[in-house]
Amino acid sequence: MIIHYAPFPILTTLLMCCVGGLVMILCIPGERKDLIRMVSAIASGLTMVLSTWLFFAYDKTQGGFQFAEKFDWVPSMGITYFNAVDGFSVPMLLLTGIVFFTAVLTSWELEHRVKEFFAMVFLLVTGVFGLFMSMDLFFIFVWFDVSLFPMYLLIAVWGSTRKEYGAMKLTLYLLAGSALILPAIIYLVTVSGLGTFDVIALMTEGSFTPSQQRFAFLLLYIGFGILAGVWPFHTWSPVGHVAAPTSVSMIHAGVLMKIGAFGILRVGMFLCPEGWQYWAHLMAVLAVTGIVYGVFVGLSQTDLKYVIGYSSVSHMGIVGLGLATVTVDGLNGAVFQMFAHGLMTALFFSAVGYIYDRTHTKEIADLGGLSKTMPMATGYFVFAALTGIGVPCLASFWAELTVFIASFQKYPLYGTLAVGALVVSALFMLRVVQQTCFGPGKERWANLSDISPGLGIPRIILVSVIVLFGLFPSLMFDVIQTASIPLIHGLP
Amino acid sequence: MTVSFDHALVLAGALFIMGIFCVVVRRNLIMMLLGLEIMLNAASIALVGAALKWHHVEGQAIALFIMAVAATEVSIGLAMIVGFYRRTDTVDPNALEEFK
Amino acid sequence: MLGTLNQQPILYAAVLASVVPLIAFLLIMVVTRRRPRVSAGLSIVAITIAFACSVLLLVRYWGLAALLQVTGTWVTTGQFTVSIGFILDPLSLLMVTVVSGISLLVQVYSLGYMAGDPGFSRYYAYMSLFAWAMISLVLSPNLLQLYVFWELVGVSSYLLIGFWYEKFSASEAGKKAFVMTRLGDVAFLLGLLTLLIPLGNLDVLMLNSPDIGSTMPAGMLTLSALLIFGGVVGKSAQFPLLTWLPDAMEGPTPVSALLHSATMVAAGVFLFARIFPFFSQSPAAMTVFLAIGTISMLLAATMAMVARDIKQVWAYSTISQLGFMIMGLAAGGYVAGVFHLITHAGFKALLFLCAGVFIHVYDSNDMFEIGRQGGRRLKIPMACMIVGAAALSGLPPLSGFFSKEAIIGVLATQDNRLWLGAALVGVVLTAYYTFRLIFIMLFPSAGAPSPPPTSGHGHHGRDYWTMATPLLILAAVTLVLGFAQTPLTQFLLFGVDAGGDHGHGERGLLIAAIAGAVGGVLLAWFEFGRKGSPQIGFVERIPALATLFSERWYLDRIYRWLLDRVVYGVFSRLATWNDERIINDGVDAFSDRLVGSGRILATLHRGMIQYKLLVMFSVVALLGLYFFF
Repeated sequence: MIIHYAPFPILTTLLMCCVGGLVMILCIPGERKDLIRMVSAIASGLTMVLSTWLFFAYDKTQGGFQFAEKFDWVPSMGITYFNAVDGFSVPMLLLTGIVFFTAVLTSWELEHRVKEFFAMVFLLVTGVFGLFMSMDLFFIFVWFDVSLFPMYLLIAVWGSTRKEYGAMKLTLYLLAGSALILPAIIYLVTVSGLGTFDVIALMTEGSFTPSQQRFAFLLLYIGFGILAGVWPFHTWSPVGHVAAPTSVSMIHAGVLMKIGAFGILRVGMFLCPEGWQYWAHLMAVLAVTGIVYGVFVGLSQTDLKYVIGYSSVSHMGIVGLGLATVTVDGLNGAVFQMFAHGLMTALFFSAVGYIYDRTHTKEIADLGGLSKTMPMATGYFVFAALTGIGVPCLASFWAELTVFIASFQKYPLYGTLAVGALVVSALFMLRVVQQTCFGPGKERWANLSDISPGLGIPRIILVSVIVLFGLFPSLMFDVIQTASIPLIHGLP
Repeated sequence: MTVSFDHALVLAGALFIMGIFCVVVRRNLIMMLLGLEIMLNAASIALVGAALKWHHVEGQAIALFIMAVAATEVSIGLAMIVGFYRRTDTVDPNALEEFK
Repeated sequence: MLGTLNQQPILYAAVLASVVPLIAFLLIMVVTRRRPRVSAGLSIVAITIAFACSVLLLVRYWGLAALLQVTGTWVTTGQFTVSIGFILDPLSLLMVTVVSGISLLVQVYSLGYMAGDPGFSRYYAYMSLFAWAMISLVLSPNLLQLYVFWELVGVSSYLLIGFWYEKFSASEAGKKAFVMTRLGDVAFLLGLLTLLIPLGNLDVLMLNSPDIGSTMPAGMLTLSALLIFGGVVGKSAQFPLLTWLPDAMEGPTPVSALLHSATMVAAGVFLFARIFPFFSQSPAAMTVFLAIGTISMLLAATMAMVARDIKQVWAYSTISQLGFMIMGLAAGGYVAGVFHLITHAGFKALLFLCAGVFIHVYDSNDMFEIGRQGGRRLKIPMACMIVGAAALSGLPPLSGFFSKEAIIGVLATQDNRLWLGAALVGVVLTAYYTFRLIFIMLFPSAGAPSPPPTSGHGHHGRDYWTMATPLLILAAVTLVLGFAQTPLTQFLLFGVDAGGDHGHGERGLLIAAIAGAVGGVLLAWFEFGRKGSPQIGFVERIPALATLFSERWYLDRIYRWLLDRVVYGVFSRLATWNDERIINDGVDAFSDRLVGSGRILATLHRGMIQYKLLVMFSVVALLGLYFFF
């Protein structure tokens, strides 16, 4: 495994943007809301710029782990502060940067406890960034938990619709997941006998016997899978989405769920390749069930956010299916789908959030004819729905297509089912679009204002990134390939 | 003349058992707290005795710590008992059932 | 890719034709959304450039001997590659000209038709998107690229059908169109996957090569062909996925004209023609296609016989004519099918645009109503409509006659005479329902007052002429296109002698076809046209049959039932029930039990502090005794 050390600790700088933003927000008195918003926007904007730079600076011809930085932390236990990025994590960092910045801009209108809100968001995102760049199991676990705990407060304090229930459910589920991950990590570190938490050191062949890998992989798969919304551990996710405030839903569905899939990839598949192959069939079955099940449940939901929540279950199923194929195409598609789905749901939730802020309802039956009064806001909504359906020349199309090809090759039946779910997904997305945006305009909503140019910025960013990667998917595939090809070819 | 370690231990043991009895038998929170104090002091005596025997200073240091801890413990405990008494007009530990 | 392009700079015209409408779309969406006139100008300029480029290409490559193909890589991942580029062969050259030409005419026409609509800019943006998708589709050199644009055509038609989103029925129709064509597309995608995995890529050239049959087993080939044909069925509204097309009338009329002639529905037949040699490898599949084409043709014709809405009649006739094309193609008549596709694009656009004028002026879709209000006074549209109707009915010497005759000629070569018979019945029915409409509008039932056309729509204003000009152009094309049959045939076959393709039927067939068409017209004349005619069709005298036809053979009901009872009623409900009752309540119940058992254990912690201390001390003491003594 090639590791290129960075002359300048760019990854730590990225982390420090979050931490620095957090500290600055904490230092500003709570009444100066505009200053807090500005600081948040600047700090998150910096992370977006840095992550974009990283994405394009990542050397595709070299591949491997780049921008690495490594310091001993607790030498006696083999814990190192080890950050590096490869073709899997670079897209995730980019995604986090974009979603973070747009989420901060989306919550510009928030008035309740602004300081605490942004502080929590920054803490959450610090954990996410840390997890995506960390190459040390100890830190991966720490960042995982750092990103979980602010969710509880964010939902319970700023949420809506059964927020305590949603927050509690989410937290318990995710803690249950981390209760499986921690023993798995400790198990792996101890049985390896290497006395290190370093992922790359542990990756050396022969660290673990096949049976050890099978055991650990199952724990890791379920533990991280809960966060990735793997069926049947998904029910926290729609409930949590519904309860969470807009920008938290964006981060939650856009980035946090990706942590789960990424964890399976980084810890499970990197360390336990044999376990991965052993359990691949199970993963495929669960993933396909999730894909089909998600769209059917989404079909009969009456709450706008529940619909999107279930569409996430279905779309994350596509990620799972891609991972389960154990092929280069499958991995490429899965990681691309993580990226595309993150952007898409972020856009979805920001559009729905705007509608909810203005109408104060998420009941589909109460809405209707909104396109008349807010053409821009609903335009973003329709766009997100079309992305969700998998319209070509938008990012998720390529991801889904690649996964379908890979899965059709490996598991023809599941591939067929997943492709078939496309029809139902079109039906349920368009049904929602039609019932909320189209139809005769309602009196109640006649006086609502459309989205302002300022609030439009985050949506425009998301739309343009989706289109960019839809028109030029190679930008993404070329990066992911640098990691997926060695991983698959290195399989025992 | 130095007191032998055995004597110290006997004294500490006797005090400790008296403390236990005080805590277990008396139906009065204040007396229970006193019993606790006695037990702590018994432990201190044992530690000081041990320090003398092996010429180690740690035993005495810990005894000092115990005094400090005991002081805080008593103050907090008494404050709680006073609060408890104000609410229920009694210092019977069985009345604590409602305070779980 | 650039290297090849630089060798033949004229090929840049193809790039230009396929990219300019996209640029127009983006510009309108991003910049000129609030300035309708600029948007319309942009869109029309873009499509004019595209049309000019395609004509240039057509003229330059007229009579080319071998196809040209330019490709570059779009996506590479793992084991497969999607290339992007364009293919220039007679089929794509003709289609791109037809598509851009008709788009241009429709867009000009829309200047009048859509004038004053609040969504004017949006309309032209979608139109450009549509044009881009369709032009790129016909130029696609491989099926994956074709699929990409195929889906985009679907999306833009969704947007255009539901253009008047405030009308509930319009947005509903858009949704229906998208979902039903999606159903076909899923089959199409699966078919592509079955080919992609063994073959590695989906180049049209490779699929069309004669030795494709040797690379995969015959059963697999048939399966792939059938699945891909699913896409054709969805897009071209064939049986059993035909019910979305009549509903798609909810869009603005120019959209229908575009949708029904050169773009959306034509994409299906185009795909058939595109990989015609591949399909021909599987005779079993071809028979299925022939049957599906025939069923659609007859079914739609019967539906058209009782419709009262002008656009509805033309919609059914579209399904019927597409079925006819598929019959022709499936019977092995490549040239005949493609020729009918082209002539049909011309006269169907003409018919819809004429209908649009009537609807615009009289504000009604009902043919009886328009007739009563004096529809025949609009001379240009009426005359053009008659030209179009005659072409649709297959009356000589209009374009439709030649192409229909070619298809009948091909069908006559089939061993099974059933297909030929069905086609002749179809000809009679088509002539009947077409002229039923014409006569109803020309000769409204006696005694009805004919008030002057509604005011406010001043039909001789500038709008009227922007709408009438495209009609005249299309009518002229319809009049002369038929005579271009021989050169077109030669062109399509790369200059090879047309003798191999059974384009020309025998004299008897010719007479039969003309007699059928004339018979249909006469029947319509007898029932609707002559003085004192009852204006009631023979179908309406049998109520059961009339209901069956006007209910579209209950196909819609069946789909509704399936959707409500099976998709919503069973799958969706069961899944939701499972989610709420089993998984969610299960988890909640588990945590409730956990909390409950915690409560039970908590009672142990109540009070009795001194007893507990006693127990504790005794245990410690006993342990001490046990360990030390």
